[in-house]
Amino acid sequence: MSELLDIAQTAVKAAVAAGAEFADAYAVSGRSVDVGVENTSLRDSEVIRDYGVGVRAFYRGGMGIGTSQSLDHGDVTECGQTAAEMAKVAHPDPDFVALPDPAQAPHVEGMFDDAIAGLEVGRVVDWCRQAIEEAQAIDPQVRLEGGAALSVGSSALASSTGVALERSGTSVSMTYQAVVLRDDQVGAYFEYDAARQMSDFVPAGVARIATEQALRYLGGRSVGTKRLPLVLGPFAASSLLSAIIGSASAESIQRNRSFLVGKQGEKIASELLTITECPLVPAGLSSGGYDGEGVPKQQRDLIRNGVLTTYLYNSYTANKAGVANTGHASRGGYGGSVGVTVSNLQVATGDRTEAELISDIDEGLYIAFGGLQPDGASGDISATVDFGFKIEQGQLAYPVATTMVGSDAFEMLTRIEAVSSDYRYEPGIIAPSLLISDVQVASGD
Amino acid sequence: MQQLMEKIIQSALDRGASFADLRMTDGTATSIAVEDGRADKVANSRSRGAGLRVLVDGAWGFAPTNQPDEKELLRCAADAVEMARAAASHVTDPGMVAQMEPVQAEIGSSARIVPSQVPLADRLASVVELEKAARSEHPSRIANTVATYADGSGEMFLANSFGTFLHFASIGTSIGVLVVSTDGTIRQRVSERRSNRSGFELVEELDLEQMGKTAASKAVDLLSAERPPAGIFDVIIDPKICGLLVHEAFGHNSEADAVWSGNSILAGKLGEQVAAEQVTIVDDPTLPGHNGSYTYDHEGVPAQRHVIVENGVLKGYLHSLETAARFGVAPNGSARAQGHQSQPLIRMSNTAIAPGTSNLQQMMSEMDSGLFLTGGYWGYVFTAQGQFTCNVEHAYAIKNGQLDTHYRNVCISGRTLETLQKVTAVGDEVHYELGGTCGKSGQSMPVDAGGPHVRISDVVVGGQSSQ
Repeated sequence: MSELLDIAQTAVKAAVAAGAEFADAYAVSGRSVDVGVENTSLRDSEVIRDYGVGVRAFYRGGMGIGTSQSLDHGDVTECGQTAAEMAKVAHPDPDFVALPDPAQAPHVEGMFDDAIAGLEVGRVVDWCRQAIEEAQAIDPQVRLEGGAALSVGSSALASSTGVALERSGTSVSMTYQAVVLRDDQVGAYFEYDAARQMSDFVPAGVARIATEQALRYLGGRSVGTKRLPLVLGPFAASSLLSAIIGSASAESIQRNRSFLVGKQGEKIASELLTITECPLVPAGLSSGGYDGEGVPKQQRDLIRNGVLTTYLYNSYTANKAGVANTGHASRGGYGGSVGVTVSNLQVATGDRTEAELISDIDEGLYIAFGGLQPDGASGDISATVDFGFKIEQGQLAYPVATTMVGSDAFEMLTRIEAVSSDYRYEPGIIAPSLLISDVQVASGD
Repeated sequence: MQQLMEKIIQSALDRGASFADLRMTDGTATSIAVEDGRADKVANSRSRGAGLRVLVDGAWGFAPTNQPDEKELLRCAADAVEMARAAASHVTDPGMVAQMEPVQAEIGSSARIVPSQVPLADRLASVVELEKAARSEHPSRIANTVATYADGSGEMFLANSFGTFLHFASIGTSIGVLVVSTDGTIRQRVSERRSNRSGFELVEELDLEQMGKTAASKAVDLLSAERPPAGIFDVIIDPKICGLLVHEAFGHNSEADAVWSGNSILAGKLGEQVAAEQVTIVDDPTLPGHNGSYTYDHEGVPAQRHVIVENGVLKGYLHSLETAARFGVAPNGSARAQGHQSQPLIRMSNTAIAPGTSNLQQMMSEMDSGLFLTGGYWGYVFTAQGQFTCNVEHAYAIKNGQLDTHYRNVCISGRTLETLQKVTAVGDEVHYELGGTCGKSGQSMPVDAGGPHVRISDVVVGGQSSQ
C-alpha cells in the first residue's frame, strides 16, 4: 500500500471514529513544471508541488466535507474528524443510501509515461524557444503568449465501504496565443497540443499554426442581422456538445433545473448525431478506469442517432432514482466535493469534409470558437462569435467581428444537417465539425 | 516568522537572484449549501503554505510549497533559482522590478463580526432562511432553489528583498441564492449574491427574506417574458451591467501586463481620447467596504485610487512592480495573488464609471426606441481584439420613452473602444453591485464593479427573434 492510500484510509478512519456513518477520502500529490512565454520572450518558469486530502463524511445522509493541504498524520486525522463534525451539522438526507462498494475497475494503459516524469526543465524551455522561432518565421512582429507545461501526479481513493484504489498519471501540454498587427487591424488566434505520452505530443507547429491563423483574422467585419446556416468548427462544436452533455447531469435533472428534464430516451437532436463516451482509450486525455467514487467506467453512447440515451449518475443520484450507477462522479482534486463529469467524447463522423460542407453554402457563418454553451436551465444560447468567418459562395470570405448567435440547444441540435468526415483528434477525443441550418445571427450592417 | 522569511529571501539572493519575494499564508474557509429546503453540504477547508518568487538574470522563477518549514522553504529557494536560470538564457525581454522603499506594517481586517466566532448552526440558519424565502415565493412556479454561503479568514506574511515585511489579516464573506423557475414548459434562472471583505455583519445587515423573494419574483417574471430580439440597438444599461462592461470590456485592457505584451487595445494610447467625453473610469481599492478593497497589494505596494480614463482620455494603466519598471512609472499597487500556489498578477479592484449628469428617467425620455438592459452574471473579453461579451439578466423594450415588452436573458457584444465612444449619457448615481470574483490566468480574486445608468448607441444584441 502506498503512502498516499494510507493517508486516505487514515482520513476515512478518523471520520468514522468521529461518528460518520459513511466516509470517503481522496488524497492527491503532484508536481508540475510550467514555462511561460510573454511578449514573444521566455518569461518565467515555475515548479509547483501540490498535495492535499479531501474527505466526505455522511451522517444520516447529510454531507460534511473537510480538506487539508497538509498530509501530516495529525492534520489528516483532524481533517477526517472535521468532515464528520460538518456532516452532523448538515441536515439529514433520506435520499442518501450508501457509498459504492468496491468493484473491479478496468486498467487503462498508457496513463503514465516515464519519459514525461523524467523530463528536464531545459527540454520544456527548448520547446518554448522553438515556438518563438516558429512564430517569428511567419511574422517577425508577432506577439506570442503562452507556454508549455508537464505534470506528474498520483491519487488514492479510500472509503468506509472498502474502496481502496490508486493511480498515477502524466501529462504534457503547450498552448499559444498569437497576436499580429497590420496598421489598425488586429488578428489573434490560439492553438494547443496536449497528451499523456511523449509519443503523442507534437510541440512543433503549435505556435506556427496560431500565428498563421492570427494573420487570417486580420480585418474583422460585420455581417448584418439575418438567419444563416452555420458551420461549427471542431472547437465550437465540441464546446456546444460538451455543455449539452453536461446538462444531462442527473443531479441537475433531479433538482429540476436542467433543460433536459424529461428528455432521457427522447429524440433531442438530428439523427445524424451520435456521441460516444470512451473512458478506456489508452493514454486518452480524460481516460480512467473508475470514477471519483471508485465505480468502474465503461464505453457508452450518450446520444445515439439523436436520442439522449442516459443521464449522468453518481452513487447518490443513481440510488435516489433507483437506477444503475453510470460512473460519472468527478473529483477534480483534493477539494472534497464530488461533481459529475464525462470522459473522452467521440462524435460519429459523416461522409463529407468540412471544406465540402462549406463549399455548398452561398451565404453562411463559420464559427471556429464562440461561447455557444446554452444556459443550463433554459437551454437558451446567446453567444458571441469570438473567432469566425463569413461564408460566401462556398468560401471563407472574411473574418467577422461583433457578430452574435441567438438560438437554443434544441434548435441547434435538431438543425444539424451534417457532421464532417474530418475532425480534430486529441488522444481519446474525436471532434468533427457540424453544419447547422437557419440560425439567427445579429451583427452590424 | 520575519527572521525565517528573511533567511529564505537571503538564500535566494545568495544563489544569484536580484529580487525575491516570499508570501506565507494560513487560512480556513467554511461553506454551506442549502438546496430545496435541506442543508445538504457543509464544508470546512484548511489551506497553508508559501510561495517564493525570484528574478534571476531577467527570468522569473517560482516555487511554492504546502509545507512551509525552513527545510522545505530552502528547497523552494534552490528550485526557484534553478527554474529561472533554466529560462534565463532565452529571455529576450528581461524581467525587471521598480525599486521600492521597504515598508513594515500590520494590516488588520475591517470585519466587525469574525465569522468563525459565530456558531456554525447560526450561520447555517441564515442560509436556510434565505433559501426558504426564495422557495416560498410563488411556490408553484419554483423548480429549484439553492442558497450558498462562504466565509474565509486567514493571514498572510509578505517579505521581499527590499526589506519589506507585511502581515495581513483578511476576512471575506459571501451569501447568495440561485432560483430556477418553471411553468412546466420552460425554465428560467436568476441569482442574487453579496460578497464583501467583511465579516458576518454582511449577512446580519442583509434582509435575507427580501433577497430571496426578489430573486424568486425575478425568476418567475422571466417565465412570461418574450425571447429577446437580435440586432443593433440603442440601449440603457443599469449599474450592474455598467460594472460588467467597465470591468470586462475596458478594465482588463488597462492591465499593464496585457499592454506590454501587445494584448491590449490600449497599447500606445496614453493621452488619447478612448471614450466619449462623459466617460471617466476609476479603479479604487481604497474605497471602504467593497469586495475589491485592500490596503497593500501582494507586492507590498500601498493601494491607491487609479483614474484610468478622465473625460474620455486615457490617463494610465494598472501596474505591478514589473510593469511599473518597464513603463518607467511609479508602482500603483495593483498586483495580487490568489494564494501561495500562485504568482501575483495585475488585477482590478473596485472599478466603475464615475457619475455624470443625467439620470435614468431623462435618458429614457429622450429615446423613441431601444432597450433597457438590467442585471447580469458574467462577461468576458478578448483583450487583443478588444471584443467583449456581457450577459444581461433581462431586458425591456423602450418605446416613446417608456418601458414596454419584457425580454428574457441575452448577451450583448461589441468592440470596447467603439462602444465607449458611443456613450451618449451617463447617470448621476453610482452603485457597486458586482461584488464577486474575477478570473485571470487561472486565479480568482475578489473584485467589485459598478457605475451609474449609461446610455450607449448601436450595441449588438444576440437575441433569438428577428425584429
